[in-house]
Amino acid sequence: MLPMILKMRIVGESGKRFRLFFPVILVWIILFALLLALLPLILLAAILSAPWGPGFRLLAIYPLLVAVLFNLSGLHIDVQDARQQTYLHFS
Amino acid sequence: MSEERKKILEMLAAGKITVEESEKLLAAISAPETATGTAEPGTRQPFKYLRVLVEPGPGSESQERVNIRVPYKLIRAGLKWASFIPKDAQSKINEALQEKGINFDFDRIKPEDIEELVAQLNDLTVEVEGKEKVRIFCET
Repeated sequence: MLPMILKMRIVGESGKRFRLFFPVILVWIILFALLLALLPLILLAAILSAPWGPGFRLLAIYPLLVAVLFNLSGLHIDVQDARQQTYLHFS
Repeated sequence: MSEERKKILEMLAAGKITVEESEKLLAAISAPETATGTAEPGTRQPFKYLRVLVEPGPGSESQERVNIRVPYKLIRAGLKWASFIPKDAQSKINEALQEKGINFDFDRIKPEDIEELVAQLNDLTVEVEGKEKVRIFCET
């Protein structure tokens, strides 16, 4: 399922805390709109690069990107040392 | 009743372990039985997450901790991007691998191979203990 919320926490060396509870669904909406807008350009690039380059494989970007985005849910990264902490969680 | 269950109950009766410990042990030995009971022979449940844990080792002054949980499906989806690696880069990877004595042709990796590779990660368990304790394993 597409992740809806990004929880983020960054604690800096100076002890400054940054917490974010972000509805990441907004980013996906903008990203999907952008991908849709870029589709003619990608199609053109695929046709032009067909003889020598990636060609129509470029169109595979769409399903691959969707696969990555839809499976981000559950990704959890927590890195900390004595001074700093970075926490990311997609849910 | 299986031999392990008997032993655990005997240990509980002898007071060698507590009720909570015996519960945990009984749950641990019954888990694989239920898993194999539901799965068809030869098929395995894919893991849900790949976990990477780094903790300070015993006596270490470092306080670095890493806790990463990557969904299995994300790894599978991510690896499919490998098809976008340009041919030039693939040959450079091959050369670098051959320099290290690994005779491996990157061009020959097919999507089926990637599927199999990721499926085999199920068995992966890496434990390194030094200044830091590193554990890489799969979680269902």
